[in-house]
Amino acid sequence: MHTTHEYTPPPLPPPFHHHHQTTPANPPTLLTQGAEAHLYKTHYLSAAHPAALKIRPSKPYRHPILDRRLTRQRILQEARCLAKLVREGVSVPALYAVDWEGQTVTDADTGAERYGGAWLLMEWVEGDVVRVVVREWEGYMLRHFGDDRDVDGHVERKREEDRMKDFLRRIGGAVGKLHAAGVIHGDLTTSNLILRGTNLGVKKEGEGDAVDEGRDGLGHVGLEGEVVLIDFGLAGQSVQDEDRAVDLYVLERAFGSTHPRTEGFFAEVLEGYRASYRGSVSVLKRLEEVRMRGRKKSMLG
Amino acid sequence: MIAVGIEGSANKIGVGIIFHPEDGSTPQVLANVRHTYVTPPGEGFLPKDTARHHRAWVVKLVKQALQDARITVKDVDCICYTKGPGMGAPLQSCAIAARMLSLLWGKELVGVNHCVGHIEMGRAITGAQNPVVLYVSGGNTQVIAYSSQRYRIFGETLDIAVGNCLDRFARTLHISNDPAPGYNIEQLAKKGKRLMDLPYTVKGMDISMSGVLAAIDALAVQYGLNGEWNEKEESTGPALEAADGGKPTRADLCFSLQETVYSMLVEITERAMAHVGSKEVLIVGGVGCNERLQEMMGIMARDRGGTVHATDERYCIDNGIMIAQAGLMAYKTGFRTPLKDATCTQRFRTDEVLVKWRD
Amino acid sequence: MDLSRISILEKKTTEFSVPKSIACAMSSSLLETIDLAHLPPSMPVYVALYRDVKNAASLRQQLISGNADFEYAFIDASMVLSRAHALSAVFRAVNDSINGRLKSRNVHSEIVFSFSPANNIAESFRKFGIADSTKDLLVIKVSTTPEITHDSVAAHLSQHVEGSVVPFDDDTLSNIADVTKIKKAYKLGALKTPPPTQPNGTHDDGTKQLELSVLGAIALRGAT
Repeated sequence: MHTTHEYTPPPLPPPFHHHHQTTPANPPTLLTQGAEAHLYKTHYLSAAHPAALKIRPSKPYRHPILDRRLTRQRILQEARCLAKLVREGVSVPALYAVDWEGQTVTDADTGAERYGGAWLLMEWVEGDVVRVVVREWEGYMLRHFGDDRDVDGHVERKREEDRMKDFLRRIGGAVGKLHAAGVIHGDLTTSNLILRGTNLGVKKEGEGDAVDEGRDGLGHVGLEGEVVLIDFGLAGQSVQDEDRAVDLYVLERAFGSTHPRTEGFFAEVLEGYRASYRGSVSVLKRLEEVRMRGRKKSMLG
Repeated sequence: MIAVGIEGSANKIGVGIIFHPEDGSTPQVLANVRHTYVTPPGEGFLPKDTARHHRAWVVKLVKQALQDARITVKDVDCICYTKGPGMGAPLQSCAIAARMLSLLWGKELVGVNHCVGHIEMGRAITGAQNPVVLYVSGGNTQVIAYSSQRYRIFGETLDIAVGNCLDRFARTLHISNDPAPGYNIEQLAKKGKRLMDLPYTVKGMDISMSGVLAAIDALAVQYGLNGEWNEKEESTGPALEAADGGKPTRADLCFSLQETVYSMLVEITERAMAHVGSKEVLIVGGVGCNERLQEMMGIMARDRGGTVHATDERYCIDNGIMIAQAGLMAYKTGFRTPLKDATCTQRFRTDEVLVKWRD
Repeated sequence: MDLSRISILEKKTTEFSVPKSIACAMSSSLLETIDLAHLPPSMPVYVALYRDVKNAASLRQQLISGNADFEYAFIDASMVLSRAHALSAVFRAVNDSINGRLKSRNVHSEIVFSFSPANNIAESFRKFGIADSTKDLLVIKVSTTPEITHDSVAAHLSQHVEGSVVPFDDDTLSNIADVTKIKKAYKLGALKTPPPTQPNGTHDDGTKQLELSVLGAIALRGAT
């Protein structure tokens, strides 16, 4: 059994280790630390361009040659997808800068030099993730119309549901455009979609319950705005129906497990997908096969 | 309570006897004996021959286990056996032995999932409470985490198991199967230096091994390193490999294969840890003995502020005690396998088992 | 893209003794000092934008002859879409420079090269660098040594560039930029523009998309 050490995240790679007073750059703020990458909020060129900094740190358990090869491949894969999608007019964060060569960093304690990983700077998309938007909407619906889903003819309720359906069609439309551009996302959950411009004033998970701010005076949850796809860390270029169908399946399951009151409307996502992508027919057929197969993914989440 | 466990899902037959004290204190291993069917270099084990081996050894091993444990038949509470997954014929020969003992001794049967056996024994030996489990053996490669009375599979191989990949490459190189091909690859890999470029296939939390195997096999053929080898040729190896980009050695190939596939395993394990928010890893299964895999997992876990648990060859290689351990845990919750259902099955997914003994 | 200016230092012509022949060019001297986010504080960037440049040929000649006094990035401003476009090339070049990855002679030639989406240095100079016929000129100087200061650069430029200084901002650049040529250089001729039905969509969406596509191309140059 190996002993436990206190973990400190690795230092930021160059050039982000300069935090001097004369630049407007505040030190990048760490937002999330996944298995693959660390995400920071910072800016690009000047404070006028808020940016997300994604660092793929070196993985010391890997052979250094393999480590560099994988880190480079993956940061480039993501950067290429973003750049391509911007050119194709798909709503994704724009690529600002990328360093795939990786950096040599000096260990503060030992003075030893080692490979510090690669980074990517992209446009910061302001808004709430769809997971939060839908959760808020579901909460609103529950408060206003109770848990009885069979009540018909409630005009306001119907109007709310129509807004949600429109929103879901726009989500499907964004995914359709993505697939039409020949890119698959690879991890299409409601946490990887942002409704641009919204600000529900919702605290991050783990910071307690959502607060009632940021909605309009009536307490409606804003569903208008552009749907932006984010986190292309597992994305790739593919023209296989199977890969596209799996993207949709993952999204469907994300709705199923996270948004029980909205799951029933998932057909609207597929409707929006159909309308925005000409190759949708064979993908949707394939989706049925993927659903049947179900595999172990049905145990996830 | 005392349980006898019989395992024979692959080329090892093992019999173990475990004792769970009534006061709930630490289980005690009373006996753990095993015999391995070893084939000549370059050959794998066939189901029919393996089953014959198991039939020839099972009675001998049961007798020896009882002797080691210093117990008599009347002390035994239940007979646990591997219901699956595994190779059909070897599983059958053990199931028959278990049914025979059940009728002969008048003891109830408990059919055990082999993977759950590994997990429960690993937890018992290491004391890991709620780890992400990497289960790596000749037949299985899975990343597992516990949730609401199931061991759920978060990631797995999409084609062949990691142990199978190593075993098959050992056959390509005609590396000895004694004591185990994986062990001999590991020893050879320690002398390797050069990392060859091999396919690295991770898809989310799943991996694929067939591309790596095909590529490393092709390299072996390309450099004439496949087939039987003589000591003289290998001893001139260092001279050949000296020049950068020159001919790789067998050791280099073993080294490259290990570095590549173990990186894939550690990567999906880390992803699962991040997903479920766990800081503990438990490695089980025959490949779990590999010290390089343990070392890499340890570095990953350390960088996440976590811990890795692994067991030695007594417990990570297939054994009877793990079947006894998992079986007895189920038995204590009232689980029984009636004689008419005491069959075996080649496919038996880890998540099919209701883990009633955990919260 | 609207880039807020970090600092603009105006220098009065009276502070310098200027040859009469080019004194007219000094009437509105604007040399901007820019600290790019994340780059070392010791390396500010000086940028000036000129219109109606009269002596492009002789400036280019100085460059070709390797006169160290003329180590600048001289960019044909008709190839520049916006501040963010120009500064992205600077960011890329300076970052490559501090990482010891220059592909060309120095950080200033690297800036010209960094405008390019392709790996051919000579071609990048033909497409983005100063030509004899250049009328609108973007001059960029990185402070690679402490001796290179705002004053030293301003003085040198005012002596040698015959043209009228205009503000280095998106409005001015949009009047100068030759969008067709830029699209061609970045192989973005077929750039699809998003449908105008987009919520909050403005007529600028196409320009914005072009700019963001260009930034992506600069970032990815050399990726194999």
